[in-house]
Amino acid sequence: MTKVLMKGNEAIAEAAIKAGANNYFCYPITPQTEVAEYLAKRMPEVGGVFLQGESELAVANMIFGAAATGKRVFTTSSSPGISLMQEAISYMAGAELPCVIVNIMRGGPGLGGILPAQSDYFQSVKGGGHGDYRLLVLAPSSVQEAVDLMILSFDLADKYRNPVMMIGDGMIGQMMEPVEFPDKIESPDLPPKDWAITGAKGRKPQVVRSLFLDPYKLENSSWHLHEKYELMKKNEVRFEKYKVTDKNEIIIISYGTMARICQTAIDAVEAEGISVGLFRPISLFPFPQDEIYAEAIKKNIKEVLVIEMSTGQMVEDVERAVVGKKKVSFFGRTGGVVPSPEEVITQIKDMIRKKSKSKKKA
Amino acid sequence: MLTKKHPQKWNSPTVKKPINLIVGGYGSGKSEVSVNLARHLVLDETFEARPISILDLDIVNPYFRSREASAELEKLGILPINPEGAQFYADLPIILPQIRGAIQSAQGTLICDVGGDDVGARVLSSLATSFDEATYDMYLVLNANRPFTSDLAGCLKTISEIEFSSRLKFTGIISNTHLMDDTNEDVVMQGISLSEAVCKKTGVELLFVSAEQTILDKINFETIDIPVLPLNRSLLKPWE
Repeated sequence: MTKVLMKGNEAIAEAAIKAGANNYFCYPITPQTEVAEYLAKRMPEVGGVFLQGESELAVANMIFGAAATGKRVFTTSSSPGISLMQEAISYMAGAELPCVIVNIMRGGPGLGGILPAQSDYFQSVKGGGHGDYRLLVLAPSSVQEAVDLMILSFDLADKYRNPVMMIGDGMIGQMMEPVEFPDKIESPDLPPKDWAITGAKGRKPQVVRSLFLDPYKLENSSWHLHEKYELMKKNEVRFEKYKVTDKNEIIIISYGTMARICQTAIDAVEAEGISVGLFRPISLFPFPQDEIYAEAIKKNIKEVLVIEMSTGQMVEDVERAVVGKKKVSFFGRTGGVVPSPEEVITQIKDMIRKKSKSKKKA
Repeated sequence: MLTKKHPQKWNSPTVKKPINLIVGGYGSGKSEVSVNLARHLVLDETFEARPISILDLDIVNPYFRSREASAELEKLGILPINPEGAQFYADLPIILPQIRGAIQSAQGTLICDVGGDDVGARVLSSLATSFDEATYDMYLVLNANRPFTSDLAGCLKTISEIEFSSRLKFTGIISNTHLMDDTNEDVVMQGISLSEAVCKKTGVELLFVSAEQTILDKINFETIDIPVLPLNRSLLKPWE
């Protein structure tokens, strides 16, 4: 297929259609609204359903209901909207329902602003709702990757019978980039949806629920979910490395579009003889913990630098991965302020300067 | 009309009316075209209808708006008209009184960067009474690589939707077909063909073709009788 120029939000919408997700429920919110705009035009063309709910609460429960029928369903929103959906997300995780939720993040907390941010990391990977549950969380850094991960998200949701969340900062939704869609999508072998509520003709009625009054049954269910999350940790870790070599003095850990800003900075300092590598987590849960550890403990690495569009959230998972073996530093801007490549360069140079100073002292 | 100031192999574009509405689908490149057109006019010594102002009328798109190039344009002597204070960052469906006033009392030449699609152009509807045929031109920025304007039927649909919501009529087309960094001369030429087809069908003029200079250099404009606006991109992503 030839390349087309698309806004991230539109590309995410089209990718879902390509993945066979014809059930979409949404409540508009900047900077995500173009997904809904696009699908309002596009869903009728593919015989799908787009319903705008009266609120994000309604939307999340529409997803819950539609997912129980075994159809591919999804919603998109932005930070405050995703907060409103948390109850239903927890219910869906508890009831083991596959669905895809996209969060095009804006600055928070509260109503915040409409410019790009990555401050919903905790909410996404640590569970914004209640109970022992996890979401599989993916974070693209380009419009093309958003397309690819969106398609993958539906497969992963079906494979694990679990909600999958794709998070992008506002820029992922708003920027234009050329993209290509696969002509044909080949899904891996997925388990049959024999749990779905499809009408009980010729079989016993089935119930989809997250209510277990018997504590032993609830505990069993929670451990069963836990096993799935352990399986995800084994099978679904995704990441990308950029200019990671044994010459690197610093390794930057950054995700989403922030990682692309870091790449520009890495290229610039490389020209001045400073070697920095980038490790970009693509799956935020499961977090590439062992892989980051393996990079951080390398002899040449003096310091690990985490850069986020937040006041520091993923940095806690990086610290957990590095287990004190190397110093972990953090740099971030938030509230819709995006760090410039120049700011990242300054951070790198300051770190190198401090390191050489402390060496001299020693 | 080759001028001494522009010794390139193509004709430079110009505008004829005081108010120039730059309208089009999302991602057609309206903001980049608006910024570059304003910059071109201010540097064109033969262009007399001064001062040149640029008005960001985009109330639907929160990012990558022409207002982000304001500082750079101001240095060149272009007057940027934007919402002030916190409203600068908003995407609320409102036109502040000072913006309305700026349109009604504009001197010289005004370039209006309007928001995308019929939704973005709706803002013009409430201002339509401020315009008459003698004072405005409305140009459709056309990118043939965008999903909803990739063929003649799609373009005509976009045109009729925008004309309906803005209560104004298009007077010309700007051919700005691109694929960001993947743009090449074939992409630009395909865009020109589609723009010409749209002009033929609707009877409006093809005002100019725009693309980055490096791509324009590869095209033989001796056989193409359309003015050309080379683009210097101002609205970049943070890593560019």
